[in-house]
Amino acid sequence: MERSSRRAFVAAAGVALSGFAGCLGRGQPRGAGGQDGEQATTSEQTTASGPTERGLPLAADRLPVEYDFGTLREEVLSGGPPKDGIPSIDDPKFWSADEADDELRAEDVVFGLVRNGEVRAYPQRILVHHEIVNDVVGDEAVSVTYCPLTGTAMGFQRGETTFGVSGKLLNNNLVMYDRETDSRWPQVLATAISGTFEGESLREFRLVWTRWNRWKEVHPETAILSTDTGHVRNYDNDPYGSYVSNRRGYYGRNSTLFPPLGSDDRLSNKRVVLGARTGSGRIAFRKAALREEGLLSGQVGGTSGTTYLAVYDSTLDTGYVYRNPEGASFSREEGAQGQVVADDGTSYDPADLPLDRVYAFDAMWFAWSGFYPSTALVDPTEEAS
Amino acid sequence: MATETASRGRIPLTLSRTRFAIGAALGRRDGQAVFGSVALAYLLAYLWFSDLLTFGGGVGGGEFGLTVARNPLGRLFQPANSALSFEPVALVEFGVGTYLLSLNTAIGLGIALLVGLNLAVTYVAWRQPKACGIGSSSSGVLAGIPALLSGAACCGPIVLVIFGIQASSAVLTVFEWLIPAAVVLLVGSLLWVGRQVDPALVQT
Repeated sequence: MERSSRRAFVAAAGVALSGFAGCLGRGQPRGAGGQDGEQATTSEQTTASGPTERGLPLAADRLPVEYDFGTLREEVLSGGPPKDGIPSIDDPKFWSADEADDELRAEDVVFGLVRNGEVRAYPQRILVHHEIVNDVVGDEAVSVTYCPLTGTAMGFQRGETTFGVSGKLLNNNLVMYDRETDSRWPQVLATAISGTFEGESLREFRLVWTRWNRWKEVHPETAILSTDTGHVRNYDNDPYGSYVSNRRGYYGRNSTLFPPLGSDDRLSNKRVVLGARTGSGRIAFRKAALREEGLLSGQVGGTSGTTYLAVYDSTLDTGYVYRNPEGASFSREEGAQGQVVADDGTSYDPADLPLDRVYAFDAMWFAWSGFYPSTALVDPTEEAS
Repeated sequence: MATETASRGRIPLTLSRTRFAIGAALGRRDGQAVFGSVALAYLLAYLWFSDLLTFGGGVGGGEFGLTVARNPLGRLFQPANSALSFEPVALVEFGVGTYLLSLNTAIGLGIALLVGLNLAVTYVAWRQPKACGIGSSSSGVLAGIPALLSGAACCGPIVLVIFGIQASSAVLTVFEWLIPAAVVLLVGSLLWVGRQVDPALVQT
């Protein structure tokens, strides 16, 4: 249920001071803070650019990693399929929105992307069978990736190479490999844990986890990945369960398919959080709470740390996370399409607040907390109980 | 019996008797019916457990059609989700469901034939009281179970996904051997049952 009542909100007052859960000692990131350079004000934000090596665009700084690479490599296990046993889509074809209406249910989950003015969506029920689409969007070579076991959809620049599915998992998360050097890249970390690129991070960008009817309403001009993938699969069948209309099967069950990297009972395993990992710390907002409250604020690094503001976007049922160092206050506008109002009365789109937006994405809690055990969790429901 | 064993050797005798038992089973209408129905039922179960055969669901629903993968011959032997799992090359929509054609149908058919033979031979022997001492009819069915469990989702065995069982490297290793294990068990079971059929006592 969406709530549109005007709710006075002072960001600093509602700060959730969640403690660090420890485990930082297992390994410190080198130059952590890959997101610090972001000047994200649109849905096209990308990790700050670093060099391009062997045709692969890299991030300027390594993204946060809370374990040493040796430990992570030891935790990698086979998911069952051989390398490329789950085939990436390397020559994607697209439907128009009208064509897609005949093929998709209104509530089907899609991952939306706006890139250099080009709008695309990728249905979850196609990606569950392929996990990676090597595409060109807005004249830019990108990989759209999805891991069903961790509920994470992430976009990466791929330059002159393509990514494939290694068949390995880390913390139940897809381990990609680049076809230039065969370096191994766990999707959530977006950082190579072995191979030529070990220690380097990818340039990543946001995919919006939403529903087909919502995406089409906002972007009627969208193209959408079709089932003409070059492979044959039963794209009506998700082997893990369903997101339509409620979570079923693996997606709704608390158990994971493989042992997770860590255990954190602050939330049940499959609860969805909107997580952000920055140099100043890791923070996760429980998505259902954000949907309920509209605005949530949290802090990492103790009382003198950095404050982050999460804003719910009711049109796409998604959220955005902003760095809010000054503790600026905002409120939800009554009766509007999820507009956010600043103290001076100026109204903003949830994706366009006058703050620095940081890269954030949906993830199942066990996956997020396993990779980032130091995460500050913002969940007012939990705090109240 | 002892003379026959001594003169012909244990293995040739077993093979000879099994061959006879198969011939006897398939030479009778009731034997043929058991063989055909069991093999068909097993093949359908194998395809369903492997997610190659599904019923219901879908947006279009009730559609009929054939979709062939790009470069189907090149993909035919391409490994897919698990050990002895191969890339589908065609999708058949038949109104109430879909069927994915891959080499796994041939694997499933081979195992189904073995299960069918096991049950047909056991059935015929059971119908012939003179050939007493015949093995339990359940042996052939039980031997076929491992292969039923071998289907895999994109990551992990389907049966574990369905029942929410957590996998480990050891469990995955076991799953890699389910199909070979089923074949060995089925052949062993067939020979074991066949060896106990005395041609002199069986009426065809």
